Amino acid sequence: MSQKQDADTALYRKDPKVYPRDVKGSFASLRKLAVFVLLGLYYLLPWLNWGGHQSVLFDLPARKFYILGLTFWPQDFIFLALMLIIAGLSLFFVTAVAGRLWCGYACPQTVWTEVFLWMERWVEGDRNKRMKLDASPWNTNKIVRKSSKQILWIGFAFWTGFTFVGFFTPIRVLGESVINFQLGGWETFWMLFYSFATYGNAGILREQVCKYMCPYARFQSAMFDKDTLVIAYDEARGEPRGGRSKKDNVAEKGLGDCIGCTLCVQVCPTGIDIREGLQIECIACAACIDVCDQVMEKMDYKKGLISYTTEHRLNGKESHIFRPRIFVYAFLLLALTAGVIWAVNNRVLLRAELLRDRNALYRELPDNQIENVYTLKLINMDFKPHKYKIEVINNDDMRLLISPEPELDPEEVGNFILRMQAPISAGRGSMKVDVRFSTLDEPVIERTVSARFLLPFD
Amino acid sequence: MTTEHPINRRWSMRQRDWAVVLWIAFLSAAIGAFVLFGLVDPLDMVNAWADEYDFGMRLAYGLAFAFLYLVCLLASALTMFMIRTGPSRGHTKGEGRRPIPKVQDPSKSSPEIDGEEWK
Repeated sequence: MSQKQDADTALYRKDPKVYPRDVKGSFASLRKLAVFVLLGLYYLLPWLNWGGHQSVLFDLPARKFYILGLTFWPQDFIFLALMLIIAGLSLFFVTAVAGRLWCGYACPQTVWTEVFLWMERWVEGDRNKRMKLDASPWNTNKIVRKSSKQILWIGFAFWTGFTFVGFFTPIRVLGESVINFQLGGWETFWMLFYSFATYGNAGILREQVCKYMCPYARFQSAMFDKDTLVIAYDEARGEPRGGRSKKDNVAEKGLGDCIGCTLCVQVCPTGIDIREGLQIECIACAACIDVCDQVMEKMDYKKGLISYTTEHRLNGKESHIFRPRIFVYAFLLLALTAGVIWAVNNRVLLRAELLRDRNALYRELPDNQIENVYTLKLINMDFKPHKYKIEVINNDDMRLLISPEPELDPEEVGNFILRMQAPISAGRGSMKVDVRFSTLDEPVIERTVSARFLLPFD
Repeated sequence: MTTEHPINRRWSMRQRDWAVVLWIAFLSAAIGAFVLFGLVDPLDMVNAWADEYDFGMRLAYGLAFAFLYLVCLLASALTMFMIRTGPSRGHTKGEGRRPIPKVQDPSKSSPEIDGEEWK
């Protein structure tokens, strides 16, 4: 038994659990603000309505995505793809300018972990108390605290899962189903799945996700250059480090400004020592800056021993914000954003599909007329009801018959039978016909669709 | 003069990586396409998603396969990237890792940093 244990210890270096110490300061406040804004949006948006719809709703069965005042139909899928590209480009841009800002303030992993940590702190106390509690034997105090924390975590995770599904199923309806125990199978599955993911990522895995699983953490360095903001320890100023009292003569002791308090290590959510240099584990949360600044203040030293800086500045060179890559990213970002905004604003809020009746090529009518029959699918993508006028353009011989008269409610899809008639003398074989659909009311929304009109071939 | 027989030529790590990525993604996409079109008629998809383009059956099959291949390629390549750029063998034993940073009570060496907020 003991032999096996020895072998196990030799094969495995266990890292100690990270107990991040609470930190206050300007960057911590900024993160708190980011948490409130981002999670506030996440938890509140589904409850708000906009133009008669839930403000953000991905209605998969109806294949309509509502995003604030806009409705995206399957045909608008390109816009969603472009918006994703814009989001990606923004990430590149921000990374090139300010480093891992995303990781430190906006990534869901960071944001939710922060909230889970708050709950942990409310129940179990700050770092030292938590470490003591974990080391203590199981007694009433420990059981009460640990189970309270779990209740808070699980409750919050469930709320998160519920909200997530609320982006796909109208959340008020969903809330009613939860209260009445009438949830559908898929809703239950996704709710549990997302709750579990939140709990696991923010409660259990935490920094391991950033260290081992996150692809962005791996390739962000490709967007870095020597002018990118990083968090760094000023080694030239800090070393040699060592403990001292304010009264001590630092010059005599031959010490730098770092007093070796290790608070920067204690606040680090990934458990690293920033004084060892830039490390891939650093998520640039700036907790070490906040705490070090407070220590410097207490010691009456200049702040900024650990700070946001650039590699150039650290080496005593000049740092530039405007560099070619920044211009390239910014240009692409602006062009794409402007393009998408323009295109979304100029969408034609009407779609028409003309499908020829597959059963008959054409029909001969008594008065030397030829008739083709079509199924017309008309989609009113507007928020207003409309009546439509349909006409054939560039062909005076052609007559159009439609039943019933096309009139659509907001966002309604209507199917109609459309008959087109032309004299037999109009041509031979296949003929291209342009059909224009337009609203009767102002401002006119119109779309022209081409169709094939068949006449006798001989 | 010695010419290397093709059979004796060894692929570099990078060549192996990409060969595996391309091939596994292809196989996965093929399986995906089989299963997908066993269940779905491509004509249905054509009508639903891209009604402006009246393209034929074969193009639908081709495009769907190309799409699946792209997605599988992305997954394969990202996996390769994550594994190749991640910690190497021996990581769990602590090889190639920095020593665990030591921490201490700050008041021990610097008496000024001793208030409740630093505990």
